[in-house]
Amino acid sequence: MRTLDPACKFVSLLCATFVLAARHDPVWNLAAFFLAVGWMLISRVRGKTMGLLLLPVLLTAAGMFFTGYRFSADGALPFRAETLHIGDSALWNGLTLSSRVLAYAGLGLLFALTTDRVDMVRSFQRRFRLPQVFAYGLLAAWGIFPQAAREYRRTKAAFRARGIRVAPMSPALLKPLLVKAVRWSEELSVAMESKGFSSGAERSEFARSRLRRRDWAALLCGCVLLPLAAALWK
Amino acid sequence: MSIRFEDLEFSYFADRRAVLPGLTAEFDAEEITVLTGASGCGKSTLLYLAAGAYPHSAGVVRRGRVTVDGEEPGALAPPERCRRVGMMFQNPELQFCMDTVKNELVFCLENIRTPPEKIEARLDEALEFCGIPHLKERALLSLSGGERQKVMLACLTALEPRWLLLDEPFANIDDASARAIAAKLRQLHRERGMGILAVDHRLDNWLAVADTVRVMEGGLLRPERMEPAGLTPETLEALGVIVPGRSYAPALAPAEPGEVVLELRGLTLSHGQNAILKGVNAAFRAGCIYAVVGESGCGKSSLFGALSGLYPYKGQALLEGRELRRLRRADLGKVGFVTQNPQDQFVSDTVREEITVGLRGDPRAGEQSEAILRKIGLWRYRDISPYLLSQGQQRRLGVAALMAYPCKALICDEPTYAQDRNNTRAIMDALCRQAREHGVALVFSTHDRQLAEDYADEIWELREGALHAYAGSGL
Repeated sequence: MRTLDPACKFVSLLCATFVLAARHDPVWNLAAFFLAVGWMLISRVRGKTMGLLLLPVLLTAAGMFFTGYRFSADGALPFRAETLHIGDSALWNGLTLSSRVLAYAGLGLLFALTTDRVDMVRSFQRRFRLPQVFAYGLLAAWGIFPQAAREYRRTKAAFRARGIRVAPMSPALLKPLLVKAVRWSEELSVAMESKGFSSGAERSEFARSRLRRRDWAALLCGCVLLPLAAALWK
Repeated sequence: MSIRFEDLEFSYFADRRAVLPGLTAEFDAEEITVLTGASGCGKSTLLYLAAGAYPHSAGVVRRGRVTVDGEEPGALAPPERCRRVGMMFQNPELQFCMDTVKNELVFCLENIRTPPEKIEARLDEALEFCGIPHLKERALLSLSGGERQKVMLACLTALEPRWLLLDEPFANIDDASARAIAAKLRQLHRERGMGILAVDHRLDNWLAVADTVRVMEGGLLRPERMEPAGLTPETLEALGVIVPGRSYAPALAPAEPGEVVLELRGLTLSHGQNAILKGVNAAFRAGCIYAVVGESGCGKSSLFGALSGLYPYKGQALLEGRELRRLRRADLGKVGFVTQNPQDQFVSDTVREEITVGLRGDPRAGEQSEAILRKIGLWRYRDISPYLLSQGQQRRLGVAALMAYPCKALICDEPTYAQDRNNTRAIMDALCRQAREHGVALVFSTHDRQLAEDYADEIWELREGALHAYAGSGL
């Protein structure tokens, strides 16, 4: 999965989400989720990372299950053990909603955890004609995220050093961060220009990759075979 | 080939006094020129103008012009400009746009339209030249200040500009790394004919490589052209420059060690897979001054960051026997921090509030803040944002703000970073006075061994993830 062209991977997975949106079927959703998890494991995504990210997803899915179960058309009916079969519409409704959360989150994580962000932006720039000022602005801003998290902790530490405890995300804490964000953006743009970057200028391309068979195969699976199977599946 | 300033008047704001009030100067590419002078005299501004970053991104040129090899750098498109002038900035944290060293170099080479098949070889050559091929795949965020400066030098080496402009390139790195970079700069100058204009408060790392030292004063260039060999310590001291091997001559009262205030027991810290601190043990006593020295990337900032709550650590850091991570609300202000970048300390909208924020509930807060601001010469700036002060002024404010209330330990990460000799002395004198008079345990890190020897009661060297007594510190 890591070696697929990010733009092709993105289009294929996007198509798959549309197909799942069109089907009201927990079997398909769960199949997509488990496939995504399996693929992540094959792609050597760290189990701990995946587990931590899936934890809130599983909680949301559980919440959606009970919401769907309780508020289906015949959700007012009391739960009985003998009706615990797939044909029960309340259960079916709950399963569909919760499995949908799992499927979308699984596909999203599959893309996010198996794609290098620099490769992704370069691929989007090449395949979708993304303007380079937007692409590299995005990359530079991305680089600032860890910096912003660190600055957040620094600012919090600065308050602590003055004997002031501030609530997370309090305006007092965010104000210095906003001032710094403006300063960062200025310094970063000066740094980018000093290295020769210009939004309008032509650049060479180091890793100009062609689409390979596996990329075409991913597109074929996501955009043709899957919708076809969904249309034919009863 | 030269950089020329012709009667240049430049100001950061249209209604403020000019930082450069009519500068006329010429720097020759045949020489490595080091520009020095007191903090806030306009040295960095001069470099930004020569690099074409100003007035494009900040400030107003009221009259005059600057040219690099006959052309105005601001008028050139960035890809052409970066072949003419390359700049290494003072703050190594905000000069990269990509995530890894390799991607950053690729970004640079793509910008100047290097043929794709030559990019890999050019970037390898640049990394090899700077002695950092092992950093090629590393994430920039995981690098120390010194390593980042070396990566920046590699970027400049790859871009091959005609001029290299360096803004305090060694402010954040140890002497060995600084000398290694200085030697590389000399090589670039000799072998590739790059003109070099550097700004620095410390000349010791330049003495072996620079051809000329020039001095700025009040936004103007003094007429003397000095050769490093002819510089006497007296001349340098008179210029307010940090003098290699010359004592700061602090007037410190002898230490009267009190109780242990801050104790570290088996403190370990990792960044990802990299173990930075591997069991740091130390005890810091009230009224004593401790210096922590060590090479770039040895973990000084990580250690100080862990104590300030920036990084999670294992082991114990005890303030008066209580774990730092679990301090009660009333004890929060007992550890003060002075950061490398003074802006990291600011929490208020105005200069005056920066002082009073720590004095809440004190009926004499107004008088006290006025007295402090008058003492550090910032009273007239009391109603403006601290971010609008010059770097030297910001540093003074940052230090003064922590003195407004009593703390038990003061942790200072390179408190004299990028300061001239006079500011360095003023900052250290103020910090040490606080330690002696109020029984505060002062722990500071520095790359300036002279500073450590002059001011510290004990010097510790951070090496291989642990603190060791520094040879010659009397420990």
